[in-house]
Amino acid sequence: MAGIVLQHVMKTYGNMYAVNDVSFTVNDGEFVALVGPSGCGKTTTLNLIAGLLPMSGGDISIGNRVVNDLDPKDRDIAMVFQNYALYPQKSVYKNLAFPLQMRKLPKEEIDRKVQDAAKLLDITHLLERKPRELSGGQQQRVALGRALVRDPAVFLMDEPLSNLDAKLRVQMRSEIKRFHHNLNATVVYVTHDQLEAVTMADKMAVMNGGLLQQYDTPANVFSNPVNTFVASFVGSPAMSLIPLEAAGNSLRSPEGWELPLSPANVRKAAGSTTKDIVLGARHSTLKLHKSAVPGSVPGKVYTVEPTGDVTFAQVFINGAVVNISLAPSVVIAPDEMVWIEFDQDRMHLFDGATTMALQAA
Amino acid sequence: MTTITESAVRRRNGPDWWRWTGRLFLVLLLGFTVMPMVWMIITSLKTGFAAMQYPPQWWPAEPTLQNYTRLLDPSGRIGQDFLHYFWNSLWVSTITTILAVVVAVPAAYAFSRFRFPGRNFLFFAVLLRNMFPAVVFLVPLFILMKALGLVNTHGSLILTYLTFGLPLAIWLLKGFYDNIPIQLEQAARIDGATRFQAFIYIVMPLSTPGIIATSIYSFIGAWNEYIYAYTFLTKQSQMTLPVGIQRFFSENATDWPGLMAATFIMSVPVVVLFLVLQKYFVRALTEGAVKH
Amino acid sequence: MSSVQGQAIFRDVPGPAPKQASLGQRMYTSRFDYLYIAPALLVMLIVIAYPVYYTIELSFYKTPASLSLADKTFTGIDNYRTVLTSAIFWKVTWQTIIWTVLSTLFSFLLGLGAALALHRAFIGRALLRGLLLIPWVVSAVAASYVWKWLYHSDFGAIGALLNQIGLTKGPVNFIDNSTTSLYALIVVNVWKEFSFAMIMLMAGLQTVPESLLRAAQVDGASAWQRFWHVTLPQLQGVSTVTILLLVVQNFNSFIIPFIMTGGGPVGSTQIWITHIYELAFLRQNWGVGAAYAVLLFLIMMVLGYFYVRALTRGDDKRAGA
Repeated sequence: MAGIVLQHVMKTYGNMYAVNDVSFTVNDGEFVALVGPSGCGKTTTLNLIAGLLPMSGGDISIGNRVVNDLDPKDRDIAMVFQNYALYPQKSVYKNLAFPLQMRKLPKEEIDRKVQDAAKLLDITHLLERKPRELSGGQQQRVALGRALVRDPAVFLMDEPLSNLDAKLRVQMRSEIKRFHHNLNATVVYVTHDQLEAVTMADKMAVMNGGLLQQYDTPANVFSNPVNTFVASFVGSPAMSLIPLEAAGNSLRSPEGWELPLSPANVRKAAGSTTKDIVLGARHSTLKLHKSAVPGSVPGKVYTVEPTGDVTFAQVFINGAVVNISLAPSVVIAPDEMVWIEFDQDRMHLFDGATTMALQAA
Repeated sequence: MTTITESAVRRRNGPDWWRWTGRLFLVLLLGFTVMPMVWMIITSLKTGFAAMQYPPQWWPAEPTLQNYTRLLDPSGRIGQDFLHYFWNSLWVSTITTILAVVVAVPAAYAFSRFRFPGRNFLFFAVLLRNMFPAVVFLVPLFILMKALGLVNTHGSLILTYLTFGLPLAIWLLKGFYDNIPIQLEQAARIDGATRFQAFIYIVMPLSTPGIIATSIYSFIGAWNEYIYAYTFLTKQSQMTLPVGIQRFFSENATDWPGLMAATFIMSVPVVVLFLVLQKYFVRALTEGAVKH
Repeated sequence: MSSVQGQAIFRDVPGPAPKQASLGQRMYTSRFDYLYIAPALLVMLIVIAYPVYYTIELSFYKTPASLSLADKTFTGIDNYRTVLTSAIFWKVTWQTIIWTVLSTLFSFLLGLGAALALHRAFIGRALLRGLLLIPWVVSAVAASYVWKWLYHSDFGAIGALLNQIGLTKGPVNFIDNSTTSLYALIVVNVWKEFSFAMIMLMAGLQTVPESLLRAAQVDGASAWQRFWHVTLPQLQGVSTVTILLLVVQNFNSFIIPFIMTGGGPVGSTQIWITHIYELAFLRQNWGVGAAYAVLLFLIMMVLGYFYVRALTRGDDKRAGA
């Protein structure tokens, strides 16, 4: 096992940055999720770590060894692909044996390792089948098996669960987590699904437009998003963002109302480069009132979605959609006027011009 | 636009009418296609005398295989020559096919996978070869072959035929490679294979149908070629079938049953080859070339 | 080793656009890629580039019948002038147009009909498809001899058949008759190549999404409307390639007219290619033949542009590395 260090990694296509000056460190045995919307550069970053693409600049080391110019086969990595990339003409057994054959291991050892991996993943009964005769979940296991059969230093996974149906995805999610725990493996895991990242990873790297936005534990990313992009990307439902204007000790809406701020928040708001401030709040920190109370702002109910143990409502405030979670006993109807109360300690303020989170000076 | 009721009525009557038109069309087309071939075979079973009758014997009164035995008899002069032509055709076509695959496979792979400067231009240039008729290249190529010392050798034909087959071969194979997910090669390279090993162990087996299709095309093209063979070869001993049978029968041009027997034998190898392997050819067109 | 654990990294504006590598640099980085195509290019270069150059050169010279290049004399555009002012040029061109257009039209229509009729699965479909493909597979030389025999003015089966059912009286001349010869050859050509159109269009039909046809059916489209509004537009790409290939192939036909009529009678089946052959090889008029060839290159380049564009449509959208 080994850690991975990326320093100022670049990848350009023509005059476009696919990956722009990305640096982060994956410690030995850590599970790191690369997460972001499609086209954000996360898969490109993974392919650069794998050596499948040439870098345009920067350094990558795996286990204290700079691997910039090494072939994928010499980087001591294994990879699980989104479409599994099982060799269609080979049986499951031969798929698992292929990485070992390429390393010229003796036949008996190959057989022993393949059998071990098959037992671990509970696919022994499938060994003679061809990939097309397997279900999606089974193909996924074979792909995992092919990755772990040779005990690599690092596992790279490129959206391995996105081709599975919702139920299987949840099941495989916990299996991969278990697998990481058992092997104490270093894993870099690419996903566009922030929920996967939050639930599985020790740390998550949020990317957008080829740039690394934030690299931290899921808990820190969730509670201290560095900018509006991260704030709106992580969490489900997403953090609600309301564009407002600073006005003395309060935030003013073009709709006419004002929201007074606590002293700590006033200090934060003072750090903004312009008067524009974006107010962010998670659904669970908001309170809904049927009439005006101090510190609340007016809004209009858009939709109500009961899910059983909690009801989600979307409320229009100042033209922005605000998510709020309610007890199932609360009864509201679309188009009803409501008042939303903010929690001054758990609200986020962002600079409206730079989108950066505002900190108390 | 028609109203729903109108089209519903038509839909009820529609399919049957369409199906019967289709069947009738196929029957007529089959007649048009097969009739000349049937007449070729019937004529080949007649004696020279029986063929020259009016009205013709629609079915040979005394069917005979003498035309075939004469062509295939290694002890007779005609048989010897004919078998020689046959062997020459087989040799030239086989070598052309092997070389075409050897040259087309890496080229098609590169055009499919790599994005090197000039890729589009070179790909266009290769495809454009198909646009030029053989005749306009005859003179310069004849002089070129003379300079290379290849006149009256099969080498001149093989070199020339190679360029006929290559554009389509590269195009068909590229379609195949385009359809093989690049992740398979990436997986192989991570599993410890070099680029070349990934190609040999993973990509090649998956593109076998494409290689078969390419081979059929090259073989048939070489087997049937006439103009270059007619120009480059003047020695009897080197001639291929399309030229050879012509030499035969222009001397005594009226032996139609013999000519029909010869064209029949000449057609058998390519027709059999194609019918046995046609599914690969159709698949190659469907999966690779036509789909975008 | 520096650790950035817990550190927030953010760049709000992307940096300056990266400097693009020069052409030379990019060619150098992909130098091994060229090795893959080198053999193919080498062969094509020998067999194409040199002849093209040579033909262009010949077309500006007067070269003796012996083709002794040392004795050639530069004549400028004289050869081109000869081509364009000769009476036979327009006759041959007109015949080439008739030959190309009619052959292409009928081959395409028969092929389209066959492809549509064969699209639905039925017992014996593969066999039928195989039989229909035979003409495309057999050599044009064989086809020419067989049809020459079918058209034979004394003992030909077609003439005899027409007589027996009473459509004609006495022997019929198909190819020894300058008014019918060109059309008789077009029939042979269509027979030979309609199945090429068929196989291309069959392949194309398989890419028409079934769901689209179902949707049209639900929307109330009749079989004809489904064909016209769904199937045909989906076939546009394949049809373009097929028609272009047919046009090129027909324009460049040589074997059928050469073997069946040799361009006769009285030049009625002479088309560009056979005419070039006659000028160069039978009359040793190398310069004029070469001038024709260069004009033909130009026509082909125009067709080739459309052909390549049709072929590579969507090519760059496909993934590659």
